[in-house]
Amino acid sequence: MRAATWTGVNEVSVETVPDPQLLNDHDVIVKVGKTTSCGSDLHLIGGYIPFMRAGDVLGHEFMGEVVEVGRGVRDRKVGDRVVVNSFIACGNCWYCKQELYSLCDNGNPNPGITEGLWGQSPGGCFGYSHAVGGFAGSHAEFVRVPYADVGSFVIPEEVSDLRALFASDAVATGWMGAELAGTKPGDTVAVWGAGGVGQMAARAAMLLGAEKVVVIDRLPERLAQVREHVGAEVIDYSTTDVLAELREWTGGRGPDVCIEAVGMEAHSTGAAGVYDQVKQQLRLQTDRPTAAREAIMACRKGGSVFVLGVFAAAVDKFPLGALMNKGLTLRGAQVHGQRFMPRILEHMSRGELVTEHLATHVMPLEQAPRGYQLFKDKEDGCVRAVFEP
Amino acid sequence: MPLPEIVARATGLASGAGGKALARLQHVRLPGVGQASVTDDPRTAARRWRVVTVLTDPEQLATTTPGPLAAFGARLEVRVTPAPGDRGAELAARFRGPVGEEEIGDLRAALRESKALVEVGEVLRVDPQPHGHRPNTPQGAALEGMTEAAPKEGVL
Repeated sequence: MRAATWTGVNEVSVETVPDPQLLNDHDVIVKVGKTTSCGSDLHLIGGYIPFMRAGDVLGHEFMGEVVEVGRGVRDRKVGDRVVVNSFIACGNCWYCKQELYSLCDNGNPNPGITEGLWGQSPGGCFGYSHAVGGFAGSHAEFVRVPYADVGSFVIPEEVSDLRALFASDAVATGWMGAELAGTKPGDTVAVWGAGGVGQMAARAAMLLGAEKVVVIDRLPERLAQVREHVGAEVIDYSTTDVLAELREWTGGRGPDVCIEAVGMEAHSTGAAGVYDQVKQQLRLQTDRPTAAREAIMACRKGGSVFVLGVFAAAVDKFPLGALMNKGLTLRGAQVHGQRFMPRILEHMSRGELVTEHLATHVMPLEQAPRGYQLFKDKEDGCVRAVFEP
Repeated sequence: MPLPEIVARATGLASGAGGKALARLQHVRLPGVGQASVTDDPRTAARRWRVVTVLTDPEQLATTTPGPLAAFGARLEVRVTPAPGDRGAELAARFRGPVGEEEIGDLRAALRESKALVEVGEVLRVDPQPHGHRPNTPQGAALEGMTEAAPKEGVL
């Protein structure tokens, strides 16, 4: 089959690779219909997560059709149109029973790497390096889906492929941030990052009853999408003092909930941005946490900060004093998508969650290298490059 | 020495080094690094109980030692105790006599496999996975060495 692979730092190719096989009883094979680039892929492609082997198949956010079923699978059958969560979880361990699916004890066959990095191992993830399992990704004609009864969801008839695609990760991640940060009716919510995840976090906050929601970014086309498709307010950080604006916007209190949807390669203006770039390039810190710092400083006393963006290891100048003295709750997670996807698909089928606008560039899989270039450089208004194998 | 031979030799060394680097990581005292044992001397570390919590009935687990642990036979002590808060059973094991890092690695893998067998009924496999061309480079070999060692390493 054909697949888009990582072939070196800032290199993506399309190659012919072996077809996947059923390896466990709870596996299915999915014929991929649509699979999308994600901002977190850029950390892999740029070499910031040094556990990729040349030839690894990329992609973790996808939908398609079940074409083969393992003998232990109960709830999926050949022909099902499904969307699959990006994290691989068994459904039976204590973490899965608590609906903390991305923390699954049995989803990552390579726990030694992440236990060394973080003290504990999270679950596995499609196409996201050998640190989280080394599973082949979805930028391919076919993909093996372990624990398919737990991680795949039948798409309601009235939901289009393109809308359902983003339930796999962008919407599920955004929803998780808004809900687990404790968003409740009447809250003010600020979201850093107007990519797919940030936009969906804002939309989820609105559906959870937030009274005012604002999204912070610098790219005009993304801010325009937030206004038009999400219905939230926007702040352009390249022209606005974010902390001052947020104080004014919230009556001097600061947002009740602050959601970071940027991750380890945050851009920022001014000296702080230069400082973080230099330290990261010199490997004196692994991540650039500009948005996370700002979220902590902006948040109201006793408020909640949720980190959705992907971080690898250690950051510098982390405002722990503000966190402690303001009595904040700080939380983060990879996506517990299995917990939220049924509800998300219901909202999608009612037209309350629309995602089609995120797919600014839909193209054949063979054009994946060009798609990633557009996505990385944010050329031509690219928000997401979606591939059709 | 011809260049291809130099690369091949470097690649071979790198593969071993990758696995060893992962093993070393668990014993280095660095902020933010997960450690199996930091200040323990090797003898004390080898005698520690290695424990996983399994979401199952402790009484049932105590009656049947899972296959991967049973395979060690009398060399191993196995203990099952109820986990607090309805978290299931704490399944602990350690060697009766002195052992090296390799045996401890085998025990880590066996405990993880035992947990998966009890909770899910099977151990998740990842090989073979579809992949494209893998050039023969020292970095790639180091990562492969690390990946091969990963089921047997970690803080367990």
